[in-house]
Amino acid sequence: MKLGVVGKGGTGKTTLSALLAKSYAERGRRVLAVDTDSNPNLAQNLGLDLGVTDEVPVLPRSLAVGLGDGTVTPASLIAEYGVRTPSEVTILHAMRVSQAGAG
Amino acid sequence: MRSLLGAAIDEEADVTLVDMEAGLEHLSRSGGTLAYADVLLVIMEPSRKSILTGARTIALAEELGIPRTFGVGNKARLPDDAEFFATVAGEYGVPLAGIVPQDPDVIEADRLGTPLAPGKGAAVRAAVAQIVAFVDKELVGAG
Repeated sequence: MKLGVVGKGGTGKTTLSALLAKSYAERGRRVLAVDTDSNPNLAQNLGLDLGVTDEVPVLPRSLAVGLGDGTVTPASLIAEYGVRTPSEVTILHAMRVSQAGAG
Repeated sequence: MRSLLGAAIDEEADVTLVDMEAGLEHLSRSGGTLAYADVLLVIMEPSRKSILTGARTIALAEELGIPRTFGVGNKARLPDDAEFFATVAGEYGVPLAGIVPQDPDVIEADRLGTPLAPGKGAAVRAAVAQIVAFVDKELVGAG
């Protein structure tokens, strides 16, 4: 199930996103949280240290919209680009905003 | 064509939550997989402007083919804002998934830049759990 969360800045979107993700994880679901911001802070709301947050690699566009070069599998994509947070939620940083209009 | 991210979402996660900072339009153009949610939640503040923005987002989501979009009334000073959200959302045709109260614990956590500490923000957590239950029910209803 894919749940999108939108809202203008200041509405509390990221805070609620983190709490929603945690709530699903507490119910035993495997939760992947994807932050599409170029200045991501969802990871911090999930309990990741700022230093670690800054090192979360950004998922390349070729994997977000394409199939990559054949060397990456769905499991290895999560292993390579996903970071497990203290909330038991895996965070993925996708798409810088500078890329957003490029399609 | 399914992207590798799409496959990872299907196979490696039960729930994928996408914080759509770039906005629906941007994501639909180039985000592919990330743009097309099963459920979309539009977070709103207790202001007429914010609820109108929610209504516009819902119209856009429908155009994009997102099957279920709901508003969430956040930062509600109870009980007045609960009534305000219900009334104005009704006026603009925004279906509500839930209302989340304003909570000093959340404001404090935001100030500190830390997650909401365990045991803090009980009312907010309860409201979020209700939204999760609401979304689950909507998905079951859809078969």
